Amino acid sequence: MEAERRGRTDGLGSVIRRHRRWAPVVVLVLLCAIIAMVNPRFIDPFNLVRLLNAAAIPTVLVMGATFVILMGSIDLSVEGVLAVSAVLASAMVANNFTSADFGLWAVPAGILLGLAIGGVNGVAHVTLRIPSFMTTLGIGFVAVGVATAILQGDTVRISDKGFRALSLERILGIPAGVWIAVAAVLVALFIQERTRMGRWLYAIGGDEATARQAGVPIERTRVMAFAVAGAFSGLAGVMAAAQLGQGHALMGQGRLFVTITAVVVGGTALSGGVGSVLNSVVGVLIVVVLFNGMVLMGLPPFAQQGVQGLLIIAAVAMALDRSRLSFVK
Amino acid sequence: MQRKKSPIYQLDRRQFLTRSAGFASMAAMASALPRDVLAQAADYTLAISMRSVANPYHATFTKGGEDFADFIGAKFATLVTEGNSEKGIADIRALLARTNGKLILNVDPNDSPDARVIVEDVANAGGFVVTQWNKPADLHPWDFDPHYVAHMSFDGVPSGQRVTQALIDGMGGEGGIVALGGILSNVPAIERRQGLELAIAENPGVELLDFQAADWNETKAFDITQAWITRFGRDVKGVWAANDGMAIGALEALRQEGLAGTVPVTGIDGIDAAIQAVRDGEMAGTVAWDPTWTGGMGLSIAYHSAIGEINIADEPQGHREFYGTGILITADTVGSLGAAEPENFLDFWGKATGQIQYRG
Repeated sequence: MEAERRGRTDGLGSVIRRHRRWAPVVVLVLLCAIIAMVNPRFIDPFNLVRLLNAAAIPTVLVMGATFVILMGSIDLSVEGVLAVSAVLASAMVANNFTSADFGLWAVPAGILLGLAIGGVNGVAHVTLRIPSFMTTLGIGFVAVGVATAILQGDTVRISDKGFRALSLERILGIPAGVWIAVAAVLVALFIQERTRMGRWLYAIGGDEATARQAGVPIERTRVMAFAVAGAFSGLAGVMAAAQLGQGHALMGQGRLFVTITAVVVGGTALSGGVGSVLNSVVGVLIVVVLFNGMVLMGLPPFAQQGVQGLLIIAAVAMALDRSRLSFVK
Repeated sequence: MQRKKSPIYQLDRRQFLTRSAGFASMAAMASALPRDVLAQAADYTLAISMRSVANPYHATFTKGGEDFADFIGAKFATLVTEGNSEKGIADIRALLARTNGKLILNVDPNDSPDARVIVEDVANAGGFVVTQWNKPADLHPWDFDPHYVAHMSFDGVPSGQRVTQALIDGMGGEGGIVALGGILSNVPAIERRQGLELAIAENPGVELLDFQAADWNETKAFDITQAWITRFGRDVKGVWAANDGMAIGALEALRQEGLAGTVPVTGIDGIDAAIQAVRDGEMAGTVAWDPTWTGGMGLSIAYHSAIGEINIADEPQGHREFYGTGILITADTVGSLGAAEPENFLDFWGKATGQIQYRG
C-alpha cells in the first residue's frame, strides 16, 4: 500500500516535472476556458483582437526584461525609459509643444534613446559594481526626472495622423501595434537562439563563475543585455505615445509591475538561467487575459487584486522547477 | 541639490530686480499697496509644498502661488514631496528654521496625517499655514489660532453630479453608462462616485452597467474600456471617468474601435488634453479646479492674516474650512475659456462655496 501510493505520486510528480515547461500554456488555456464558460463573448474574434492589442506594449517590454532576468539581474527602469522615449517621440512628430515634424523618424529616435539609457544602466551596473536593482531604479528615476524637467508638468499632444497610425491602422484586421509586437518577438527570439549573446545570457544566469572561466565576456554581455532591454522599452514608449496620442512624464505608470509579473508567470526564473522570451509572451497573455476576463465576468473591483495575486502565486508555483533549488530566498 | 539651489537663485534675482526697480516704480507700487505692507512683504518667505510639478494640477497650483508672491514682491520657495511624506515634512522644517518662522506656507499634504505634523511645526515656529485637499477630519484651523489659517478643498459630490448630467445630456438622456473610478479608498474618488450615483438616480432612463477602479491610471482605463466594449457592445452609450487621465485612456480605447466622438466621455480635473477633447466634440465635459486660485489665494489669505489685514480668529468657520468652485466645462462653455480675468488676490472668499462637510 505504502509503496504503491508512493510509486503513484512519484509517477505523477515525474509527469509534472517532464512537462513543467508547458505549465504556463496550461494555465493560459484553463484561464481562457473558465472565462469563456462564464462569458462566451470572451472568444468573440473582436475580443481576441482587443486582447492582442492590450498585449502589444507589454509584450515588447517583456522581451528586454526577459534577457535581463535570464542573467539573474533585474531592470526597474522600464517605466522611466518608456516615459522619456514617449515624450521624445511625441515631441518629434507634429504636436502642440514643439514645432518639430519629423514624422516616423520619431520611431528610431525613441528606440535609440532607450538603447542609450539601457547602455548607461549596463555600464553603471558593471563598472561601478552596483547591483542592477539599485542602478536601474536610480536611472529610471533620473529618466522620469528629465521628462518632468523638460515638460514642467505639461503633456505633449500628438496631432500627427501618420504617427498615430502605428497604433490605429489595421492590417488584416489586426492593429499595427500588434504587428510591431510580433516583429519585436521575432527579433528577440533571433537574439536568444541565433546569437552568441543569447547563449551567454543563459551561461551568466546559470553560473557566472563557470561562465567566466569558460571565457564568456561577462561585462560586455551584461552591458549589451541592458542596452537591448532599453531599446525594447524605448520602442514600447513610442508605441504608447502612438496609442494614447500623447507623451508625458508619467506615461509608464503601472507598466513595471505588469512586466515583471508577466516574465515570472511565464516561467522565467528570477534567479536566472531558466526561461525564454516565448515563455514571457505566454506570461503577458496570462496577465492580459486575466485582466480582460475579470471585467468580462463582472468581478467586483475590490476582489480583482486578490484574484490577481493568488493567480500569480499559483502560476509561478506550477511553472518553476524548484527541485533543483538548494534554498529559496 | 539642483532643486534646492534654484529657488534661492530665483530669490536673489527677484530681490535684485525689486530693489533696482524699486526707485523707478515706487510711485506705481505705492499706489497699489500701503507702504507698511511693502516693508512686511520683505520679512516673510512665501512657500508652496506639493507632490510634483510633473502633474499639471500642481504645476499650475505652484504658478498661482508664485503669481501672488510677485504681486506683493515677497520671496518665494517651491517644495516638492515627490510623494514622500518624510521628505515633505523635513523640507518644511528646514525652511522654517532658515526663515526663523517667518514663513507663509500653502501646502497640499502628501497624506492626511502629514497635515497635523506640518500644522504643529508651523504653529510652534510662529509661521502661518493653509492646507489643501488632505487633512484629518478632527484637525481644524480654529484649534491653532492664528497660525493654522485655513483649509481649502473641492467638493467632489456636486462636481461629479454636474459632469454626470453633462454626460447624460450628451447621450440624449438615456442608455447605459460604464464608470471608471479612482483608487477605491481615496476621498475624491469616493465623493466623485457619490456624485455619479446621485445623477444616475435622477435620470430613470439611465443605467450604470459597470463600475471599475482604474486607479487614476490611463493605461488601465484603456484596457478596462476595451473589455467593456466586448462585454456590453453597443449598450455602452457613455463612459464616465473620475479624472481626465482615465477619460483620455477610455477615449483612446474607443478610438481603436472607431467609436471616438460617437460614445461621449467625461472626466474631472480640467487638464489641457481633456479641454481639447471637449473642443473636438469627443468628450462631453470635465470639471476644472482652478489651481491658480488655490495656489495664490491660499497664500494671500495667510499672508494678510500674518500682517494683520485679516483677523482670522474672528472669521466664521465657513471662512476657515471651505470649498472652492469647480468649473464645469462643456461644448457650450469651452469657447469662453481662457478669457478668464486675472486672479484678484484681495477678494479672499469670493470663490468659496460653503463650509467643508465631513461625510461618514
